[in-house]
Amino acid sequence: MVTPNVKLADSNIIVKAEKVNKHFGSLHVLKDINIEVLKNEVVVIIGPSGSGKSTFLRCINHLEKINSGHIYVNGHMIGYHDRNGKLVEDNERNIARQRAEIGMVFQRFNLFPHLTAIENIIEAPTRVRKTPADQARADGERLLARVGLVDKRDQYPNQLSGGQQQRVAIARALAMKPSLMLFDEPTSALDPEMIGEVLDVMKELAHEMTMIVVSHEMGFARAAADRIVFVDEGQIIEQASPDDFFTKPRSERTQLFLSQILH
Amino acid sequence: MYHFDWITFWNYIWPPSAFQNPLIRNGLIATILVSIIAQALGVILGLIAALGKMSKLAAFRWLSEIYVWYFRGTPLLVQMSLLFFGLGVTHIYNFPDIVVGAITITGAIQAGTLALGINEGAYMAEIVRAGIESIDPGQMEAAKSLGMTSGLAMQRIVLPQAAKVIIPPLGNEFNNMMKTTSLMEVISAGELFFGFNQINARVFKPFELYIAASLYYLVLTTIWSFVQARIESGLGERKGLERGPGMMQRLFGSSGEGAH
Repeated sequence: MVTPNVKLADSNIIVKAEKVNKHFGSLHVLKDINIEVLKNEVVVIIGPSGSGKSTFLRCINHLEKINSGHIYVNGHMIGYHDRNGKLVEDNERNIARQRAEIGMVFQRFNLFPHLTAIENIIEAPTRVRKTPADQARADGERLLARVGLVDKRDQYPNQLSGGQQQRVAIARALAMKPSLMLFDEPTSALDPEMIGEVLDVMKELAHEMTMIVVSHEMGFARAAADRIVFVDEGQIIEQASPDDFFTKPRSERTQLFLSQILH
Repeated sequence: MYHFDWITFWNYIWPPSAFQNPLIRNGLIATILVSIIAQALGVILGLIAALGKMSKLAAFRWLSEIYVWYFRGTPLLVQMSLLFFGLGVTHIYNFPDIVVGAITITGAIQAGTLALGINEGAYMAEIVRAGIESIDPGQMEAAKSLGMTSGLAMQRIVLPQAAKVIIPPLGNEFNNMMKTTSLMEVISAGELFFGFNQINARVFKPFELYIAASLYYLVLTTIWSFVQARIESGLGERKGLERGPGMMQRLFGSSGEGAH
Protein backbone atom coordinates (compact mmCIF):
# COMPACT_ATOMS: atom_id res chain seq x y z
CA MET A 1 0.00 0.00 0.00
CA VAL A 2 1.36 3.40 -0.95
CA THR A 3 1.33 5.91 1.84
CA PRO A 4 -1.53 8.33 1.40
CA ASN A 5 0.49 11.49 1.30
CA VAL A 6 2.61 10.47 -1.68
CA LYS A 7 -0.40 9.30 -3.54
CA LEU A 8 -1.82 12.73 -4.14
CA ALA A 9 1.01 14.40 -5.95
CA ASP A 10 -1.41 16.94 -7.37
CA SER A 11 -1.81 19.52 -4.64
CA ASN A 12 -4.72 20.96 -6.55
CA ILE A 13 -6.85 18.07 -5.45
CA ILE A 14 -8.63 18.97 -2.22
CA VAL A 15 -10.90 15.96 -1.89
CA LYS A 16 -10.34 12.53 -3.31
CA ALA A 17 -12.66 9.61 -2.65
CA GLU A 18 -11.68 6.14 -3.78
CA LYS A 19 -14.13 3.25 -3.91
CA VAL A 20 -15.99 4.44 -0.84
CA ASN A 21 -18.58 2.00 0.46
CA LYS A 22 -20.95 2.51 3.31
CA HIS A 23 -23.60 0.26 4.79
CA PHE A 24 -26.31 1.00 7.31
CA GLY A 25 -26.99 -2.54 8.47
CA SER A 26 -28.14 -4.40 5.38
CA LEU A 27 -28.67 -1.16 3.46
CA HIS A 28 -25.84 -0.40 1.02
CA VAL A 29 -25.96 3.41 0.95
CA LEU A 30 -22.71 4.26 -0.85
CA LYS A 31 -21.45 2.01 -3.63
CA ASP A 32 -17.89 2.47 -4.82
CA ILE A 33 -17.95 6.25 -4.83
CA ASN A 34 -14.99 7.78 -6.70
CA ILE A 35 -14.66 11.50 -6.98
CA GLU A 36 -12.06 14.25 -6.99
CA VAL A 37 -12.72 17.84 -6.09
CA LEU A 38 -10.21 20.46 -7.14
CA LYS A 39 -9.11 23.56 -5.32
CA ASN A 40 -11.69 26.36 -5.56
CA GLU A 41 -14.10 24.07 -7.28
CA VAL A 42 -17.77 24.21 -6.34
CA VAL A 43 -19.43 20.83 -6.64
CA VAL A 44 -23.15 20.51 -6.15
CA ILE A 45 -24.43 17.03 -5.41
CA ILE A 46 -28.03 16.42 -6.33
CA GLY A 47 -30.21 13.36 -6.33
CA PRO A 48 -33.41 11.91 -4.94
CA SER A 49 -33.81 11.77 -1.18
CA GLY A 50 -32.29 8.64 0.27
CA SER A 51 -29.76 8.46 -2.55
CA GLY A 52 -26.84 8.71 -0.13
CA LYS A 53 -25.68 12.23 -0.98
CA SER A 54 -25.87 13.58 2.59
CA THR A 55 -24.26 10.41 3.89
CA PHE A 56 -21.34 10.87 1.52
CA LEU A 57 -20.92 14.47 2.66
CA ARG A 58 -20.86 13.34 6.28
CA CYS A 59 -18.22 10.74 5.47
CA ILE A 60 -15.89 13.47 4.21
CA ASN A 61 -15.45 14.84 7.75
CA HIS A 62 -15.92 11.44 9.34
CA LEU A 63 -19.23 12.17 11.03
CA GLU A 64 -20.09 8.83 9.42
CA LYS A 65 -17.71 5.91 9.28
CA ILE A 66 -17.06 4.20 5.98
CA ASN A 67 -16.86 0.46 5.49
CA SER A 68 -14.27 0.42 2.75
CA GLY A 69 -12.38 2.73 0.43
CA HIS A 70 -10.46 5.90 1.19
CA ILE A 71 -11.27 9.57 1.49
CA TYR A 72 -8.45 12.09 1.37
CA VAL A 73 -8.70 15.78 2.16
CA ASN A 74 -5.65 17.86 1.33
CA GLY A 75 -3.76 14.61 0.83
CA HIS A 76 -4.52 13.23 4.27
CA MET A 77 -6.67 10.18 4.70
CA ILE A 78 -9.74 11.07 6.73
CA GLY A 79 -10.66 9.12 9.82
CA TYR A 80 -8.42 6.15 9.22
CA HIS A 81 -4.89 5.06 8.61
CA ASP A 82 -3.63 2.04 6.79
CA ARG A 83 -2.15 -0.77 8.79
CA ASN A 84 -1.00 -3.61 6.52
CA GLY A 85 -3.73 -2.85 4.04
CA LYS A 86 -6.45 -2.68 6.68
CA LEU A 87 -8.25 0.50 7.62
CA VAL A 88 -7.81 1.37 11.29
CA GLU A 89 -9.80 4.24 12.75
CA ASP A 90 -7.71 7.20 13.85
CA ASN A 91 -7.69 8.42 17.43
CA GLU A 92 -10.12 11.14 18.35
CA ARG A 93 -7.54 13.89 18.53
CA ASN A 94 -6.39 13.28 14.96
CA ILE A 95 -9.91 13.17 13.66
CA ALA A 96 -10.69 16.43 15.46
CA ARG A 97 -7.61 18.05 13.94
CA GLN A 98 -8.72 17.01 10.47
CA ARG A 99 -12.26 18.20 11.03
CA ALA A 100 -10.98 21.62 12.05
CA GLU A 101 -9.86 22.09 8.44
CA ILE A 102 -13.27 21.19 7.04
CA GLY A 103 -16.19 23.52 7.59
CA MET A 104 -19.68 22.09 7.70
CA VAL A 105 -23.07 23.72 7.47
CA PHE A 106 -26.07 21.66 8.54
CA GLN A 107 -29.62 21.52 7.37
CA ARG A 108 -30.91 22.41 10.83
CA PHE A 109 -28.18 25.03 11.50
CA ASN A 110 -27.16 23.45 14.81
CA LEU A 111 -26.14 26.75 16.32
CA PHE A 112 -25.32 26.53 20.02
CA PRO A 113 -28.47 27.95 21.66
CA HIS A 114 -26.78 28.96 24.91
CA LEU A 115 -24.27 31.19 23.10
CA THR A 116 -24.81 34.48 21.28
CA ALA A 117 -24.05 34.79 17.57
CA ILE A 118 -20.53 36.07 18.17
CA GLU A 119 -19.90 33.49 20.91
CA ASN A 120 -21.00 30.75 18.53
CA ILE A 121 -18.42 31.98 16.04
CA ILE A 122 -15.46 32.41 18.39
CA GLU A 123 -16.02 29.23 20.42
CA ALA A 124 -13.99 26.89 18.22
CA PRO A 125 -11.24 29.36 17.24
CA THR A 126 -10.55 30.17 20.89
CA ARG A 127 -10.96 26.65 22.28
CA VAL A 128 -9.53 24.57 19.44
CA ARG A 129 -7.12 26.92 17.69
CA LYS A 130 -6.28 28.85 20.88
CA THR A 131 -6.73 32.13 19.06
CA PRO A 132 -6.65 35.03 21.57
CA ALA A 133 -10.21 36.09 22.41
CA ASP A 134 -9.95 39.69 21.16
CA GLN A 135 -8.49 38.58 17.85
CA ALA A 136 -11.12 35.86 17.46
CA ARG A 137 -13.78 38.44 18.25
CA ALA A 138 -12.44 40.87 15.64
CA ASP A 139 -12.30 38.07 13.05
CA GLY A 140 -15.76 36.97 14.07
CA GLU A 141 -17.22 40.42 13.63
CA ARG A 142 -15.68 40.65 10.18
CA LEU A 143 -17.34 37.35 9.31
CA LEU A 144 -20.65 38.54 10.72
CA ALA A 145 -20.35 41.66 8.59
CA ARG A 146 -19.67 39.48 5.61
CA VAL A 147 -22.91 37.54 6.10
CA GLY A 148 -24.70 40.83 6.81
CA LEU A 149 -25.41 40.25 10.49
CA VAL A 150 -22.97 42.39 12.42
CA ASP A 151 -25.84 44.05 14.29
CA LYS A 152 -27.04 40.61 15.51
CA ARG A 153 -23.74 39.95 17.23
CA ASP A 154 -25.16 39.67 20.74
CA GLN A 155 -28.42 37.92 19.89
CA TYR A 156 -29.11 34.34 20.88
CA PRO A 157 -30.03 31.89 18.11
CA ASN A 158 -33.68 31.77 19.20
CA GLN A 159 -33.86 35.51 18.61
CA LEU A 160 -32.83 35.10 14.97
CA SER A 161 -34.82 33.97 11.93
CA GLY A 162 -33.93 30.70 10.24
CA GLY A 163 -32.11 32.47 7.44
CA GLN A 164 -30.13 34.55 9.91
CA GLN A 165 -29.26 31.47 11.95
CA GLN A 166 -27.96 29.70 8.88
CA ARG A 167 -25.84 32.73 7.95
CA VAL A 168 -24.36 32.75 11.46
CA ALA A 169 -23.70 29.01 11.06
CA ILE A 170 -21.82 29.70 7.83
CA ALA A 171 -19.76 32.39 9.58
CA ARG A 172 -19.09 29.96 12.42
CA ALA A 173 -17.73 27.37 10.00
CA LEU A 174 -15.63 29.98 8.18
CA ALA A 175 -14.11 31.18 11.45
CA MET A 176 -11.93 28.08 11.51
CA LYS A 177 -10.48 29.15 8.13
CA PRO A 178 -11.26 25.79 6.55
CA SER A 179 -9.83 24.74 3.22
CA LEU A 180 -13.08 23.02 2.32
CA MET A 181 -16.72 23.78 3.06
CA LEU A 182 -19.44 21.15 3.16
CA PHE A 183 -23.07 22.23 2.94
CA ASP A 184 -25.67 19.62 3.85
CA GLU A 185 -28.96 20.82 2.38
CA PRO A 186 -28.42 24.27 3.87
CA THR A 187 -31.74 25.72 2.75
CA SER A 188 -34.06 22.73 3.17
CA ALA A 189 -35.25 23.74 6.63
CA LEU A 190 -35.86 27.37 5.69
CA ASP A 191 -39.05 29.19 4.90
CA PRO A 192 -39.08 30.05 1.18
CA GLU A 193 -38.56 33.76 1.72
CA MET A 194 -35.30 33.12 3.58
CA ILE A 195 -33.67 30.80 1.08
CA GLY A 196 -32.39 33.65 -1.08
CA GLU A 197 -30.35 35.35 1.63
CA VAL A 198 -28.51 32.13 2.44
CA LEU A 199 -27.88 31.27 -1.20
CA ASP A 200 -26.55 34.78 -1.80
CA VAL A 201 -23.95 34.27 0.92
CA MET A 202 -23.04 30.91 -0.56
CA LYS A 203 -22.72 32.36 -4.07
CA GLU A 204 -20.32 34.97 -2.74
CA LEU A 205 -18.27 32.24 -1.08
CA ALA A 206 -18.27 30.14 -4.22
CA HIS A 207 -15.87 32.59 -5.87
CA GLU A 208 -13.11 31.87 -3.41
CA MET A 209 -13.63 28.52 -1.72
CA THR A 210 -13.70 24.83 -2.38
CA MET A 211 -17.24 23.78 -1.67
CA ILE A 212 -19.29 20.62 -1.80
CA VAL A 213 -22.97 21.35 -1.57
CA VAL A 214 -25.81 18.89 -1.23
CA SER A 215 -28.84 20.81 -2.36
CA HIS A 216 -32.16 20.74 -4.10
CA GLU A 217 -31.75 24.34 -5.23
CA MET A 218 -31.36 23.97 -8.98
CA GLY A 219 -31.11 27.73 -9.47
CA PHE A 220 -28.12 27.83 -7.15
CA ALA A 221 -26.57 24.79 -8.83
CA ARG A 222 -26.90 26.42 -12.22
CA ALA A 223 -25.51 29.74 -11.07
CA ALA A 224 -22.70 28.74 -8.71
CA ALA A 225 -21.61 25.18 -9.47
CA ASP A 226 -18.56 24.33 -11.52
CA ARG A 227 -19.73 20.76 -11.65
CA ILE A 228 -22.90 18.91 -10.83
CA VAL A 229 -22.78 15.37 -9.53
CA PHE A 230 -25.93 13.34 -9.78
CA VAL A 231 -26.22 10.56 -7.23
CA ASP A 232 -28.89 7.87 -7.17
CA GLU A 233 -29.10 4.73 -5.04
CA GLY A 234 -25.64 5.27 -3.63
CA GLN A 235 -23.89 5.63 -6.98
CA ILE A 236 -22.58 8.54 -8.95
CA ILE A 237 -24.65 8.37 -12.12
CA GLU A 238 -23.42 11.42 -13.93
CA GLN A 239 -21.11 14.40 -13.53
CA ALA A 240 -21.18 17.42 -15.79
CA SER A 241 -20.97 21.17 -15.96
CA PRO A 242 -24.29 22.83 -15.07
CA ASP A 243 -24.94 23.73 -18.70
CA ASP A 244 -24.44 20.21 -19.97
CA PHE A 245 -26.18 18.69 -17.01
CA PHE A 246 -29.39 20.64 -17.36
CA THR A 247 -29.51 20.84 -21.16
CA LYS A 248 -28.22 17.46 -22.26
CA PRO A 249 -28.25 14.93 -19.44
CA ARG A 250 -26.84 11.64 -20.67
CA SER A 251 -28.30 8.96 -18.45
CA GLU A 252 -31.93 8.01 -18.33
CA ARG A 253 -32.07 8.27 -14.57
CA THR A 254 -30.81 11.83 -14.72
CA GLN A 255 -33.35 12.69 -17.36
CA LEU A 256 -36.10 11.16 -15.27
CA PHE A 257 -34.97 13.02 -12.14
CA LEU A 258 -34.74 16.33 -13.96
CA SER A 259 -38.15 15.88 -15.53
CA GLN A 260 -39.59 15.32 -12.05
CA ILE A 261 -38.11 18.39 -10.47
CA LEU A 262 -38.13 20.85 -13.39
CA HIS A 263 -41.65 20.96 -14.62
CA MET B 1 -57.46 12.93 76.70
CA TYR B 2 -53.85 13.74 76.03
CA HIS B 3 -52.68 16.98 77.50
CA PHE B 4 -50.55 18.75 74.88
CA ASP B 5 -47.54 20.32 76.58
CA TRP B 6 -47.44 23.71 74.90
CA ILE B 7 -44.61 24.93 77.06
CA THR B 8 -42.25 22.17 76.00
CA PHE B 9 -43.40 22.55 72.41
CA TRP B 10 -42.77 26.31 72.28
CA ASN B 11 -39.55 25.93 74.17
CA TYR B 12 -38.14 23.77 71.38
CA ILE B 13 -39.43 25.62 68.36
CA TRP B 14 -39.14 29.27 69.42
CA PRO B 15 -35.64 30.09 68.13
CA PRO B 16 -34.37 32.30 71.00
CA SER B 17 -35.02 29.51 73.50
CA ALA B 18 -34.60 26.50 71.22
CA PHE B 19 -31.23 27.61 69.90
CA GLN B 20 -29.91 27.80 73.46
CA ASN B 21 -29.90 24.04 73.27
CA PRO B 22 -26.76 22.89 71.41
CA LEU B 23 -28.51 19.69 70.34
CA ILE B 24 -30.92 21.76 68.27
CA ARG B 25 -28.61 24.58 67.24
CA ASN B 26 -25.75 22.33 66.15
CA GLY B 27 -28.17 19.75 64.82
CA LEU B 28 -29.78 22.29 62.54
CA ILE B 29 -26.42 23.56 61.31
CA ALA B 30 -25.27 19.98 60.71
CA THR B 31 -28.44 19.11 58.80
CA ILE B 32 -27.99 22.10 56.49
CA LEU B 33 -24.26 21.60 55.92
CA VAL B 34 -24.52 17.84 55.47
CA SER B 35 -27.32 18.34 52.94
CA ILE B 36 -25.25 20.77 50.90
CA ILE B 37 -22.06 18.72 50.97
CA ALA B 38 -23.79 15.39 50.30
CA GLN B 39 -25.75 16.91 47.43
CA ALA B 40 -22.60 18.41 45.94
CA LEU B 41 -20.89 15.04 46.24
CA GLY B 42 -23.93 13.43 44.63
CA VAL B 43 -23.79 15.83 41.69
CA ILE B 44 -20.10 15.14 41.11
CA LEU B 45 -20.50 11.36 41.38
CA GLY B 46 -23.65 11.49 39.28
CA LEU B 47 -21.86 13.37 36.54
CA ILE B 48 -18.97 10.90 36.56
CA ALA B 49 -21.32 7.91 36.53
CA ALA B 50 -23.48 9.42 33.77
CA LEU B 51 -20.43 10.03 31.58
CA GLY B 52 -19.17 6.56 32.52
CA LYS B 53 -22.42 5.00 31.36
CA MET B 54 -21.97 6.66 27.97
CA SER B 55 -18.27 5.85 27.76
CA LYS B 56 -16.77 4.04 24.82
CA LEU B 57 -14.79 1.91 27.29
CA ALA B 58 -16.70 -1.10 28.49
CA ALA B 59 -14.94 -1.07 31.89
CA PHE B 60 -16.26 2.43 32.69
CA ARG B 61 -19.72 1.49 31.51
CA TRP B 62 -19.80 -1.59 33.71
CA LEU B 63 -18.47 0.20 36.76
CA SER B 64 -21.09 2.91 36.39
CA GLU B 65 -23.88 0.44 35.82
CA ILE B 66 -22.92 -1.57 38.90
CA TYR B 67 -22.65 1.57 41.02
CA VAL B 68 -26.09 2.79 40.04
CA TRP B 69 -27.58 -0.68 40.29
CA TYR B 70 -26.27 -1.28 43.81
CA PHE B 71 -26.98 2.10 45.34
CA ARG B 72 -30.46 2.45 43.87
CA GLY B 73 -31.24 -1.17 44.58
CA THR B 74 -30.46 -1.25 48.29
CA PRO B 75 -31.80 0.86 51.17
CA LEU B 76 -29.84 3.95 52.10
CA LEU B 77 -30.22 3.03 55.76
CA VAL B 78 -28.44 -0.26 55.12
CA GLN B 79 -25.71 1.44 53.05
CA MET B 80 -25.11 3.97 55.79
CA SER B 81 -24.93 1.30 58.53
CA LEU B 82 -22.58 -0.78 56.42
CA LEU B 83 -20.29 2.18 55.79
CA PHE B 84 -20.12 3.25 59.43
CA PHE B 85 -20.58 0.15 61.59
CA GLY B 86 -19.55 -2.39 58.96
CA LEU B 87 -16.29 -0.79 57.94
CA GLY B 88 -15.61 0.16 61.53
CA VAL B 89 -15.74 -3.35 62.88
CA THR B 90 -13.51 -4.73 60.12
CA HIS B 91 -10.96 -1.97 60.74
CA ILE B 92 -10.91 -1.36 56.97
CA TYR B 93 -11.72 2.22 57.80
CA ASN B 94 -12.74 3.85 61.05
CA PHE B 95 -14.01 7.35 60.59
CA PRO B 96 -11.98 9.42 63.06
CA ASP B 97 -13.36 12.62 64.53
CA ILE B 98 -11.85 15.65 62.83
CA VAL B 99 -11.25 18.72 64.95
CA VAL B 100 -11.11 22.05 63.16
CA GLY B 101 -10.62 24.79 65.72
CA ALA B 102 -13.67 24.79 67.99
CA ILE B 103 -15.63 22.47 65.69
CA THR B 104 -15.54 18.69 65.88
CA ILE B 105 -16.74 16.81 62.84
CA THR B 106 -17.59 13.41 64.21
CA GLY B 107 -16.85 10.20 62.35
CA ALA B 108 -20.58 9.52 62.20
CA ILE B 109 -21.23 12.83 60.46
CA GLN B 110 -18.49 12.08 57.94
CA ALA B 111 -19.75 8.56 57.27
CA GLY B 112 -23.34 9.74 57.05
CA THR B 113 -22.48 12.53 54.62
CA LEU B 114 -20.46 10.15 52.50
CA ALA B 115 -23.26 7.56 52.43
CA LEU B 116 -25.83 10.22 51.52
CA GLY B 117 -23.56 11.59 48.78
CA ILE B 118 -22.73 8.21 47.27
CA ASN B 119 -26.36 7.17 47.34
CA GLU B 120 -27.41 10.49 45.83
CA GLY B 121 -24.82 10.09 43.05
CA ALA B 122 -26.62 6.98 41.82
CA TYR B 123 -29.85 8.94 41.46
CA MET B 124 -28.12 11.99 40.01
CA ALA B 125 -26.47 9.73 37.39
CA GLU B 126 -29.86 9.02 35.87
CA ILE B 127 -30.88 12.67 36.04
CA VAL B 128 -27.64 13.84 34.41
CA ARG B 129 -27.86 11.17 31.74
CA ALA B 130 -31.44 12.11 30.91
CA GLY B 131 -30.31 15.74 30.71
CA ILE B 132 -27.48 14.94 28.32
CA GLU B 133 -29.70 12.73 26.20
CA SER B 134 -32.28 15.50 25.91
CA ILE B 135 -29.80 17.60 23.93
CA ASP B 136 -30.12 17.37 20.14
CA PRO B 137 -27.30 15.14 18.80
CA GLY B 138 -26.80 17.82 16.13
CA GLN B 139 -25.15 19.92 18.84
CA MET B 140 -22.42 17.35 19.34
CA GLU B 141 -22.04 16.94 15.59
CA ALA B 142 -21.71 20.66 15.03
CA ALA B 143 -19.09 20.90 17.77
CA LYS B 144 -17.16 17.97 16.33
CA SER B 145 -17.34 19.42 12.83
CA LEU B 146 -15.57 22.49 14.23
CA GLY B 147 -12.69 20.34 15.41
CA MET B 148 -13.71 19.87 19.04
CA THR B 149 -13.00 16.55 20.71
CA SER B 150 -16.03 14.93 22.31
CA GLY B 151 -14.70 15.84 25.77
CA LEU B 152 -14.43 19.53 24.91
CA ALA B 153 -17.79 19.46 23.14
CA MET B 154 -19.37 17.83 26.19
CA GLN B 155 -17.89 20.43 28.52
CA ARG B 156 -18.54 23.54 26.43
CA ILE B 157 -21.61 22.71 24.38
CA VAL B 158 -23.64 19.80 25.72
CA LEU B 159 -23.35 20.07 29.52
CA PRO B 160 -24.18 23.80 29.74
CA GLN B 161 -27.39 23.07 27.85
CA ALA B 162 -28.09 19.88 29.79
CA ALA B 163 -27.63 21.82 33.05
CA LYS B 164 -30.87 23.68 32.38
CA VAL B 165 -32.68 20.36 32.12
CA ILE B 166 -30.89 18.95 35.17
CA ILE B 167 -31.39 21.85 37.58
CA PRO B 168 -35.14 21.47 38.23
CA PRO B 169 -34.92 17.78 39.26
CA LEU B 170 -31.69 18.57 41.09
CA GLY B 171 -33.63 21.05 43.19
CA ASN B 172 -36.16 18.35 44.05
CA GLU B 173 -33.32 16.01 44.96
CA PHE B 174 -31.96 18.61 47.38
CA ASN B 175 -35.36 18.97 48.95
CA ASN B 176 -35.38 15.21 49.53
CA MET B 177 -31.81 15.31 50.75
CA MET B 178 -32.61 17.69 53.61
CA LYS B 179 -35.26 15.30 54.87
CA THR B 180 -33.19 12.19 54.28
CA THR B 181 -30.35 13.44 56.48
CA SER B 182 -32.59 12.38 59.38
CA LEU B 183 -31.63 8.77 58.61
CA MET B 184 -28.21 9.58 60.01
CA GLU B 185 -29.87 9.30 63.41
CA VAL B 186 -29.21 5.54 63.30
CA ILE B 187 -25.46 6.06 63.31
CA SER B 188 -25.81 8.73 66.01
CA ALA B 189 -24.64 11.55 63.80
CA GLY B 190 -25.50 14.80 65.53
CA GLU B 191 -28.02 16.23 63.12
CA LEU B 192 -31.41 17.71 63.89
CA PHE B 193 -33.44 14.55 64.31
CA PHE B 194 -30.75 13.01 66.49
CA GLY B 195 -30.91 16.13 68.64
CA PHE B 196 -34.65 15.82 69.11
CA ASN B 197 -34.32 12.13 69.93
CA GLN B 198 -31.73 12.93 72.59
CA ILE B 199 -34.02 15.52 74.12
CA ASN B 200 -36.92 13.11 73.98
CA ALA B 201 -34.88 10.52 75.83
CA ARG B 202 -34.63 13.00 78.70
CA VAL B 203 -38.07 14.62 78.78
CA PHE B 204 -40.18 11.98 77.02
CA LYS B 205 -42.57 14.19 75.11
CA PRO B 206 -42.49 12.41 71.73
CA PHE B 207 -45.71 13.96 70.42
CA GLU B 208 -44.65 17.57 71.06
CA LEU B 209 -41.01 17.04 70.12
CA TYR B 210 -41.60 15.19 66.85
CA ILE B 211 -44.11 17.79 65.74
CA ALA B 212 -41.52 20.41 66.57
CA ALA B 213 -38.86 18.47 64.65
CA SER B 214 -41.15 18.14 61.64
CA LEU B 215 -41.70 21.90 61.65
CA TYR B 216 -37.96 22.52 61.40
CA TYR B 217 -37.77 20.35 58.29
CA LEU B 218 -40.87 22.02 56.90
CA VAL B 219 -39.28 25.44 57.28
CA LEU B 220 -36.09 24.24 55.56
CA THR B 221 -37.88 22.69 52.61
CA THR B 222 -40.21 25.67 52.26
CA ILE B 223 -37.36 28.15 52.19
CA TRP B 224 -35.68 25.94 49.63
CA SER B 225 -38.81 25.92 47.46
CA PHE B 226 -38.60 29.68 47.22
CA VAL B 227 -34.89 29.60 46.40
CA GLN B 228 -35.52 26.93 43.80
CA ALA B 229 -38.31 28.91 42.16
CA ARG B 230 -35.97 31.89 42.01
CA ILE B 231 -33.17 29.89 40.40
CA GLU B 232 -35.46 28.30 37.83
CA SER B 233 -37.14 31.52 36.79
CA GLY B 234 -33.67 33.07 36.41
CA LEU B 235 -32.72 30.19 34.14
CA GLY B 236 -35.80 30.50 32.02
CA GLU B 237 -35.72 34.24 31.57
CA ARG B 238 -32.78 34.59 29.26
CA LYS B 239 -32.40 31.30 27.52
CA GLY B 240 -35.94 30.34 26.67
CA LEU B 241 -36.59 27.57 29.19
CA GLU B 242 -40.16 26.68 30.02
CA ARG B 243 -41.48 28.20 33.21
CA GLY B 244 -41.18 26.03 36.27
CA PRO B 245 -44.19 25.07 38.38
CA GLY B 246 -45.78 27.84 40.40
CA MET B 247 -45.22 28.32 44.12
CA MET B 248 -48.51 26.74 45.15
CA GLN B 249 -47.89 23.69 43.02
CA ARG B 250 -44.37 23.45 44.35
CA LEU B 251 -45.45 23.49 48.00
CA PHE B 252 -48.56 21.39 47.83
CA GLY B 253 -47.49 19.15 44.98
CA SER B 254 -49.35 17.93 41.95
CA SER B 255 -47.23 15.39 40.17
CA GLY B 256 -45.69 12.43 41.96
CA GLU B 257 -42.26 13.37 43.14
CA GLY B 258 -40.32 10.16 43.55
CA ALA B 259 -39.35 9.52 47.17
CA HIS B 260 -36.43 7.33 48.07
